Amino acid sequence: MAALENPDDLDAREREALETLLKRLADDEFVLAERYTEWQVRAPSLESDLALANNAQDELGHARLWYDVLEDLGFEEQELIYERDPDDFRHSTLVELPFEEGDWADAVLRSYLYDAAEELRLEALEESTYPKIADRVGKIQSEEDYHLEHAQNWVERLAEGEEGHQRLQNALDRLFPHALTLFEPVDPDLEEAIVELRLRDASLEELGEEWLSIVVPYLESLELELPVSPQVDDDTFEITEEMLPEKRGRDGSHTDAWADLHDELTHTYRDLGRSETTKIMEKPE
Amino acid sequence: MNVDAVTKRAGPREFSPADDLPREYREAATRMIEFHANSEIMGAYLERPFIRQAPSIDRKLAFSAKVQDEIGHGQLLYRAAESLGVKTREEMLDDLANGDGKFLNCFHYPLKSWVDVPMISFFVDGAAMRRQATLRRTSWEPYAHAMDKVCFEEGFHVKHGEDILKELMTGSRKERQMTQEAFEEWWPRIIQFFGPTDDKSTHHDFAASVGLKQQSNDQLRDAFLDQYIPKARKHGLEIPDEPRIRERDDGTYAVEEGDLDWDEFFTIAKNDYEPGLGQINGRKHAQDAVQWVRDTIENDATTAGGHAPQAAD
Repeated sequence: MAALENPDDLDAREREALETLLKRLADDEFVLAERYTEWQVRAPSLESDLALANNAQDELGHARLWYDVLEDLGFEEQELIYERDPDDFRHSTLVELPFEEGDWADAVLRSYLYDAAEELRLEALEESTYPKIADRVGKIQSEEDYHLEHAQNWVERLAEGEEGHQRLQNALDRLFPHALTLFEPVDPDLEEAIVELRLRDASLEELGEEWLSIVVPYLESLELELPVSPQVDDDTFEITEEMLPEKRGRDGSHTDAWADLHDELTHTYRDLGRSETTKIMEKPE
Repeated sequence: MNVDAVTKRAGPREFSPADDLPREYREAATRMIEFHANSEIMGAYLERPFIRQAPSIDRKLAFSAKVQDEIGHGQLLYRAAESLGVKTREEMLDDLANGDGKFLNCFHYPLKSWVDVPMISFFVDGAAMRRQATLRRTSWEPYAHAMDKVCFEEGFHVKHGEDILKELMTGSRKERQMTQEAFEEWWPRIIQFFGPTDDKSTHHDFAASVGLKQQSNDQLRDAFLDQYIPKARKHGLEIPDEPRIRERDDGTYAVEEGDLDWDEFFTIAKNDYEPGLGQINGRKHAQDAVQWVRDTIENDATTAGGHAPQAAD
C-alpha cells in the first residue's frame, strides 16, 4: 500500500479516516494527562507522586505529537483544544472520569487498563501508511512500556492487601465498561477505511479482543471479578453492545465530568480573551 | 565538636554526616532545610491547578515539568535535612500536614488566576534563586550539594516565568491591566520573602556564625531589588508607591520597611493566616485520603521482608 505522503493529496475519505484516527489518539492522551495531574502533590508518597507526574508529562507530550500531526491537516491548536466544542472531543470516557479523593486504586487500575490497550494500538500503528504516524510511534512506545510496568507493579501490590483489593474491585466495576469504549468504532464505514487504507493495520474489534485476552486473565489472576463477562469460551473474547456504558466518548457523548473539565482547562484562555495559543517549543520533527 | 570548634572551622561545604556536630548546629540546619523543603511542597501544591489552566499545550508541559521539579527538590532537601539526624522525613511531612511545619510567606496566599502565575514563577522564584545561589556555599555539604541541582532547574523556571510575564505584558490591554493588578497585590509579599530586617531576625546570628547562612536578609533583599526593579519596569510594570522604595546615591534600592505589614507576616510565620491555613489543611486532607496506601505499603514491607519504597533519584 502506497504511503499517504502529502496531506494535500488526500481525498475526502482518506482525510476523514486520518482525522478520526488522530483525534482519538490525541484526545485520549490529552485528557488522561489532565486527570493524572490531579495527583500532583496528592499521591501517597513523594516517589509515587513523581512517577505519576512523569507519566502525565509523557502523555501530554504524546498528545502534543498527535495534535501536531492534525495541524498538518490544517487545524490549529486553539481549534483542536481551546475553542473546540467539548462534544466534539473523541476520547474514550475511561480517561475523562474524575478521581475520588484518595482513590489511588482507580489511578493505577485505570492506568493499567489504558496502557495495556495503548500498547496494542501503537503496535498496530507501527507500519502506518501515514509516515508521520509511523515515525512517532517508536518514541511513544519507549515511554509507554514503562507506564504499563509501573501500573502493573502498583496493581499487584494493592491487590495483596484487603483494603487495596476491595478498592481495586470497586474501581474495576466502575471503569471496566468505560475501558471497553476504547475499542468502540462508532462509524463502521470510517473504521473500515482506517484499516483498508492501512493507517492502522488491525481493526478495533481485533484490538479489543486481543486486549481482553490479556487483561481478563491478568485481573482474574489477582482474584478481581469483571462486572461483565466478555469471555465466549477458553480463548475467545467479545465486546457486545450491552456491555458498553451509555456515554462512550468516541461518538461525542460524554459524562458531565468532561464538560466541567473542559471548562476548567479552557478557563484562562477565555478569561484573557485569547484567540491563539503560545508555542514555546520548536515544532516536533 | 562543640559550637566554638564549628564556628572556627565553618566554611563552604565544610561539614558532612561524617562530622560529629553539636546539637545546636544540627537543629539550626534542620530548621533551615526543612523550611526550604516544605516551601517546595507548598509551592507545588499552590501551582498544580495551573497546569490545567495554562492556556496552551506548551505552557502546560513547561508548567507541569516545573511542579514535578519542585516535588523532586522537596525530596532532595528532605534527604539533606534527614542526614542531620534530628528529624525523619516522615516527621517533617507529618509536621507540615499538622500545621507545625513552616514555609515561605508567599505560599500562604492563594493563586487565583493565570496572571498570578508569573508573580510566583518569575518574582518569587527569582528571589529564591538569589538566596539559593548563596546557599551553594553553605557549610552543610548535603544542603550545598542539593542546591547545585535546585539552582540549575530553578533557572529554567524563572526563564519560563519571565516568558509568561512578557507575553501577558505585551498582550491585550485587559491582560496588561490584570497583570499590573496582580503585581501590586504581590509586590509587598515578594519583598517580605527575605524576611524581617536583620535586627528583627531571630535565627540569623547563629546560622551565619556556623556558615549555614551566607548572606543576611537585608543584603539579599537589597540585591533582589537592584536586580528586579529594573526587570519589572522593563516589562512595563509600574512599581507601586507603597512600600516606599528609596534609590541610594549609587543607584541601588532600599525599601522602607515600616510600610510593610509585619503583623500579617508574623501571623503567617505562625501558620495562623487564612488562606495559608486552608492550604495547609487542604494538603493534609489529600494526604490523609491516601493514608491507606502508605499503610498497605508498610504492611507489605514488614511482611515481605522489606521492599519499602526506595527514593527514586
